[in-house]
Amino acid sequence: MKLYYFSEMPHHEYPDAEGDKYPALRLAFPNTHFSPAAAHRNYQRYLDEYEFADEAGFDGLMINEHHSTPSCVNVSVNMAAGILARTTKRAKILLLGNILPIQENPVHVAEQIAMADLISGGRVLSGFVRGVGVETWWANSNPVHNRERFEECHDLIIKCWTTPGPFRWEGQHYHFRHVNPWCLPLQKPHPPIWVPGTASPETAIWAGRMGYTYVPFLVSFEVARELFDYYRQGAAEVGRAVTDDNLGFLICAVTADTRAKALEAGRHFVWRMGPTLRGPVEYFSPVGMRSRAASQFALKARSVPLSKMSYEQLVENYYIVADTPAGVIERFACVKEELGIGHLLLEAQESRMDHPTTMRSIELMGKTVIPAVARM
Amino acid sequence: MTVMPREETISVGGIKVHTLIGGTGDPLLVLHGAGGNRGWRRWMAAVAERHTVYAPTHPGFGQSDAADWMQGIDDLARFYLWFLDELGLSRVHLLGHSIGGWTAAELATMHPGRIDRLILVAPTGLKPAEGEILDIFYFSPEELLKYTVHDPASVPEWSELYGRPPTPDEIDIATRNREMTARLTWKPYMFNPRLSYFLPRVEAPTLIVWGRQDRIVPPICGEQYERLLPSATLHVFDQCGHLPPLEHPDAFAKLVLDFVDGPPRAAASRRV
Repeated sequence: MKLYYFSEMPHHEYPDAEGDKYPALRLAFPNTHFSPAAAHRNYQRYLDEYEFADEAGFDGLMINEHHSTPSCVNVSVNMAAGILARTTKRAKILLLGNILPIQENPVHVAEQIAMADLISGGRVLSGFVRGVGVETWWANSNPVHNRERFEECHDLIIKCWTTPGPFRWEGQHYHFRHVNPWCLPLQKPHPPIWVPGTASPETAIWAGRMGYTYVPFLVSFEVARELFDYYRQGAAEVGRAVTDDNLGFLICAVTADTRAKALEAGRHFVWRMGPTLRGPVEYFSPVGMRSRAASQFALKARSVPLSKMSYEQLVENYYIVADTPAGVIERFACVKEELGIGHLLLEAQESRMDHPTTMRSIELMGKTVIPAVARM
Repeated sequence: MTVMPREETISVGGIKVHTLIGGTGDPLLVLHGAGGNRGWRRWMAAVAERHTVYAPTHPGFGQSDAADWMQGIDDLARFYLWFLDELGLSRVHLLGHSIGGWTAAELATMHPGRIDRLILVAPTGLKPAEGEILDIFYFSPEELLKYTVHDPASVPEWSELYGRPPTPDEIDIATRNREMTARLTWKPYMFNPRLSYFLPRVEAPTLIVWGRQDRIVPPICGEQYERLLPSATLHVFDQCGHLPPLEHPDAFAKLVLDFVDGPPRAAASRRV
């Protein structure tokens, strides 16, 4: 099993009481609470941690993108990919990912991913996501078109990478009279495609049909297994075999020299489970963004919202792993056994988890955990 | 005796449109707002004593067929011209509320001669000169309801419409209505930047109705419509929010009847 390092690059640089005054941290919390000075320091620090994770032996470095939220101030997954492509040496760079439905120019997205792949020497894993509703609001993209735009944007990016230009694209949502990108990926036919999921059976089925690596985020084992079944259903439709390499899983994880220290550090993950996900359902799932089936599945999948779980419950149920390296290895082995996955993505820094704690966790992962996980 | 409607399904371009039809007299087409077709209301029954009221449910709403290909209110307006063709109605009075009012205004600019009298009730469609149209999609249906009327206690049909929790089927229809509204109005939100250039083409005498306490669409939009339409009068109800037909049903029905049954127009449009 392969391990991936991930930080949301949070901006938890304000008094919590200020955030509590608003209906949600996402969209509603005024950016007057954004500190450019702190952000400058944090970006340096987060990028240092990514470089160290590369040196420590992580198989991949995952980056993502969000908007209008202090929970994640990585506002450009492709810009971060370009930086890591140059500053890291060996780990895969997992973009998870570009938010396709809100893109206005898929050709430009294809070019940027290709450029990162070229700079990195073919280390890019290109994730495509539908995004949470917040990003739909941010981009003022009609949520009823979310899935259609996701699929069409995907189709055009793949065509950019696989069909010689110039060609013309007249689709439902995208129209380009002259497509001929002079920046194509190093990897052929194109970088591997990854797709995350939390609740949409349709996405899991689609990913299975396409043969893409599918990664449920922060769900229970039971829900992950159900989503994997949908994935297998899609794969079976086209006669595609499913291996461990097609399946991943994302959890929060930190390790330290003692269990007590690890548990103390792990508490920082509670912020992303609670305050950053608090808010009206319309913010996270605007009308029409989810199908009826996905809405029903989401209700079932989150019968107890993450924000309602105690820290102890989150640890007990594998949303958070916080332990000594030996304890972490044991927990990861359990994840492997429960889900049969080939990729374990670790959200390994959050909230106000400080730099020394994060670096020590990365170091311990590299020395002990990664070699053990590689044998799983 | 109260005039009661019959239900019909009108097929337009393969789309089945659920329609309430009631009364006798000159035809009056009623286009509902984002909340959907609320059925045969008290004001309709009063108007139907002197007019044949046609109250269709827009495609994508309620029990009507979907029209996922539609992208804007101008599509809906063009669709209703076709709807009139299917009914064999060459000339009608046209009344629209909220997004139905916007649809009515668009339709009147497309085929001015087809409209005898035009009634726009708190229509969206224009960018407010001051303030903003409330972003209804930020709110749950329950929260939004609080913004729609000035005082629920003074709405005679409130209890009948909203006095009990919605059934699962009603929730499903409300979701469908919101999805179709999003499809038609998302961006630019609730207005057409080109509509103001076409409104001077409208020939029909027009009655614009607003509630002074409308918290969804700023009443200043009523003044903008009045300025842009060649023959328009603005009537503002006091103690009234975004739903004048429900909040003041009797006065609203009288206002509509007085306007529609006013002196005949001097000459038929050359565009009929």
